[in-house]
Amino acid sequence: MQAAAEQVAIGVLFSTTGPYASLGREGYFGAMMAIAEINAARSHPFTLAAVTRDPHGNIEAYAGLCREIIDGSGAQFVVGCTTSWSRKEVIPVLEKTGTHLWYPCPYEGFEGNEHVVYVGACPNQHILPLLEHVLPRFGGDPMLLGSNYIWGWETNRIARECVERHGGTVKAERFLPLGDTDVVHLIEEVRRKRPDFILNTLIGPSSQAFVEAYWQLAQDEPTFAAEKRPIISCNWTENEIAVLGEKATGHLGISPYFQSIATPDNAAFLATANRLAPEQRHVSAFFVQAYVAVHMIADGIAATGTTDSGRVLAHAQATSFAAPFGALRIHGDTNHAILAPRIGRARADGVFDLVSRIETPIIPDPYLARADEPAAGRRVGHLQVVK
Amino acid sequence: MSARQLSPSFEQQRALILHRPHVTVDAIVRQLTQIGMAAELFWPDLPPNLEVGGYGAIFFDVDLGHDEQFPWPAGEAPIPAIALIGSEAPGRIAWAIRRGADAQLLKPITGGGIYSAVLIAREAFDRRRALSANVAALKARLDLREPLAQATALLMVAENISPKAAYDRLRRQAMAERLPIEALATRLLEAQRDQGRRHDRA
Repeated sequence: MQAAAEQVAIGVLFSTTGPYASLGREGYFGAMMAIAEINAARSHPFTLAAVTRDPHGNIEAYAGLCREIIDGSGAQFVVGCTTSWSRKEVIPVLEKTGTHLWYPCPYEGFEGNEHVVYVGACPNQHILPLLEHVLPRFGGDPMLLGSNYIWGWETNRIARECVERHGGTVKAERFLPLGDTDVVHLIEEVRRKRPDFILNTLIGPSSQAFVEAYWQLAQDEPTFAAEKRPIISCNWTENEIAVLGEKATGHLGISPYFQSIATPDNAAFLATANRLAPEQRHVSAFFVQAYVAVHMIADGIAATGTTDSGRVLAHAQATSFAAPFGALRIHGDTNHAILAPRIGRARADGVFDLVSRIETPIIPDPYLARADEPAAGRRVGHLQVVK
Repeated sequence: MSARQLSPSFEQQRALILHRPHVTVDAIVRQLTQIGMAAELFWPDLPPNLEVGGYGAIFFDVDLGHDEQFPWPAGEAPIPAIALIGSEAPGRIAWAIRRGADAQLLKPITGGGIYSAVLIAREAFDRRRALSANVAALKARLDLREPLAQATALLMVAENISPKAAYDRLRRQAMAERLPIEALATRLLEAQRDQGRRHDRA
């Protein structure tokens, strides 16, 4: 198929309803915004036709809907999936059809499929640099909390390994069923054990319930104030923080993108987002990475003159893209993004103040094959934006 | 896999691949690169003087494989061995089992599977090796049952003590000298024989 064809189909596969709808909506609106922007700008010799499907958070629906997108429209690219479980569901479809999924979320690593492009951070770009920042500042003895599925299990496991390697002790590790908001026993344990900080890999309502209850604890006992014993997370979103307001203030997160990045590129991006995606009061990495994925696909189609998804990926591996958070390139060996994460401190209005920036991008190491080195040891030189 | 080493690192390790050039091999090499292992390809045979010390695993083709490709006997792979199976015909699987596969992967191999196969094969290999070492040690001790019985009897007669007292005395002395009790028994018998020979000559 020649790119000169008028319309190029692109799949958009997010759950905008269901148990993790708020994250799914970020991905959905990010992708749709990029498609609208590209089509309006007429800067490419084609327009993108979004083929959207909504699995409603039902894991059994993902593979069938992915197949439907590809078979029905001939789409060679799908931007989508939030959970790792759903990503693993669609991989056989991608392999069978020779297509690619552009996956826009941070995840727990230990994958490197040729048919997936991992635009979000993997552990040596999120939990490890976050711990490197937190351990010397707050102490070595944390408590680990997570939702009871792979993201929490693996991220906490990596955190435990890192903490113990630094000579610290994990004071407790607890998991809550997805959606559970009964956090009374967790708060009681926190109060008794006084961890130096709390790693929170809870998601959605569980995370919200815990942060609120922890804030209440700090009101009663100031030793649990965020500036003394913060909650840290690799999966905060600005929307979630805005909902929590002052109760989240002072806690720490890590992400390649925060809305507060003060660059002309990000200012221009936020102005466009305000115009094209007014549904999203705030945008987070989940939104921006989906947006960036669509742009990288479109640039690849334009540059190679084809919709061959392998060649489009090769273009993204060879060329830097000017993302709102800086130059972005896909690492050839792993199909993961080379990213420079930032550490942010939450404010009551949902914005993160940037407290630390890893200046040089970190090469993705999804299997932690080079885990003996600190994350900081795996850097590439300054990326040049070729545009 | 020890509890301390939950994210195992394979860096500085190499993997052998015994398979004809093929997209499956490309997929294996790609995944090995991701987990930090360098790959070395051989086909049709492994070199007879292969130094296996530097290799962390071998992937071997079952479809076209045969015993003569390997410089080691069947079932005695000196490194973790992973069978690459295309045809699931029982004869081919029997051959893979005879070769001593520690794990297997079904072809075609595309985007995953190598990491878990290497980890499982390594664990199975370590268990296999520890088990053979244990069996060898137990066998050696079994072979020494007779000297132990003789030494116990010798002490009973010489010291006029009960079988239990004789055995206990052997055990205590072995512990004091940090020797297996069978080794001590053998030494006592040899000393006795030497003494006997000196008496004969006198």
